[in-house]
Amino acid sequence: METPLVLKTVGLSKSYKVGHIWQRSRPALHGLDLEVRRGEVFGYLGPNGSGKTTTLKLLMGLLHPDAGEIQVLGRPWSDPAWRHRVGYLPEHPYLYDYLTAQEYLDYVGRLFGMTARDRAERGRALLERVALTRVAAVPMRRFSKGMLQRAGIAQALVNDPEFLVLDEPMSGLDPVGRRLVRDLILDLKAAGKTVLFSTHILPDAETLCDRVAVLRGGRLMDVGPLSQILKLDVSHMEVLAAGLDATSLEAPGLRLRQRLGERWRLEVEERSLGGVVRAVEAAGGRILSVQPIRQSLEDYFLKELGGEGSGPWGGED
Amino acid sequence: MGRGRLSRLLAVAANTFRETVRERVLYNLVFFAILMTLSGLLLGQLSIRQDEKIIKDVGLAAMEFFGILIAIFIGVGLVSKEVERRSIYPLLAKPLGRGEFFLGKFLGLSFTLLVNVGLMTVGLGLTLLATGRPADPSLLDAVYPIYLGLLLVVALAMMFSSITSSALATVFTVGVVIAGRYSDVIRNMREVAPGAPAWLTQLLYYALPNFRHFDFKDRVAYGDPVPAAALAWVTLYGLSYVAFALVIGLLAFRARDFQ
Repeated sequence: METPLVLKTVGLSKSYKVGHIWQRSRPALHGLDLEVRRGEVFGYLGPNGSGKTTTLKLLMGLLHPDAGEIQVLGRPWSDPAWRHRVGYLPEHPYLYDYLTAQEYLDYVGRLFGMTARDRAERGRALLERVALTRVAAVPMRRFSKGMLQRAGIAQALVNDPEFLVLDEPMSGLDPVGRRLVRDLILDLKAAGKTVLFSTHILPDAETLCDRVAVLRGGRLMDVGPLSQILKLDVSHMEVLAAGLDATSLEAPGLRLRQRLGERWRLEVEERSLGGVVRAVEAAGGRILSVQPIRQSLEDYFLKELGGEGSGPWGGED
Repeated sequence: MGRGRLSRLLAVAANTFRETVRERVLYNLVFFAILMTLSGLLLGQLSIRQDEKIIKDVGLAAMEFFGILIAIFIGVGLVSKEVERRSIYPLLAKPLGRGEFFLGKFLGLSFTLLVNVGLMTVGLGLTLLATGRPADPSLLDAVYPIYLGLLLVVALAMMFSSITSSALATVFTVGVVIAGRYSDVIRNMREVAPGAPAWLTQLLYYALPNFRHFDFKDRVAYGDPVPAAALAWVTLYGLSYVAFALVIGLLAFRARDFQ
């Protein structure tokens, strides 16, 4: 049986008006067809200005689409019922700084029609989950960027959503905060929730995502499991070796040597593998492992998208 | 209106009231208190009938002035600040309609103004008592239309801020309030500027809300009675304009993209 969809977009398009007097249209998203399945962690990747945030804002109703259809949790976008079952974290969230995190969560709970008791319980649990219990009663104007981000994540979870949409959830977080959010996403997945998140931090996408979609210039370039998108480069092999100093190692087909503590990582042409192995052994070293080189997401971005924008995985779009 | 919708609208209104209180909007009451104290002390030298009239005049005019300042400057920022700071983003992703948000903000500031006007009325009554005059209940005949006028200023500020930038919305709202205070001048403009097209002066006169209709200060200060029919008429007049401004503002707000 096929896994049900939590999100389906068909031909979703959006353009922005630019200029004041002579307005012209700047396309931001071209006919996006996207499907997110129940229970998966779905990464939404792309360089600056590729249309990631535009897509998420369209889903959440912050922008009106020019064309296309959206279905959320099997319901048409225009049916507000799905909003009770979805959570959303905007990019760089600004939460009311005159409120405490506790008060803000209580306010959000009221919008979902929760009782005072449920709001209090849920608020406490969420603040603990995002490690903000200690500052629960502090006005958010005194929060750091990372604390605001975590409070933003907490507000997205108030209604215990089935489907969570996170725009750059790791943005502004220190390593501890990033770890906390990574664990949270994995916990949500384990609990059967669906998570769609955009990110420019590629290792996070590699760690967390079941599938990713890659956008470029408002067009969907690729979608699928990472293993499918990140092709194996069988023309080159990675050799891990130890017990030698490879600085002066000479062998035909050896294209890269990289010291990793006591070990050396060598990249060699597949057809020259035998010669390199013999050269390592002749230099007194031993081979630890040999495997085909797997393209990283970073490699993919650099190769496929050619360093668009201010960087291949920059911030705003 | 469904129970859920009303509850969300009230949640937004309550939060807006809390915001205005925490942003120290009600601090204007301190200035009002100082003004009333000074009025009481300085005017004690005048004859009894004069000081009562002047205290009422000063109190009601201050109430209107502070109220208009709050209504314009907070009213313009009610929605536009939320959009500029992007605090509206997580909220509109919830089961909160744009209409509920917009009207909730209006109700919240309306309640702040009600508290403000209420406390000022109490302050004015206390000043009268302190200077040996009775706290005249007919003050409410002037206070109530002032409050209606303030609601209209909030609605206009929200309407303009939904259509244009905060700066222009402030200019437009101030412009309409001033023009509305002097709409008789607009009607009679052809006497001083014969070249002004009649249709334009007529259009402006009838389209702009006439804020003089909300002014019962002199009547009350002089102790003249205000007929209930006059209050009923100004209620209808004020609420019609409020509804019109809110509908226009809401339509513009609904159509907006939050980029």
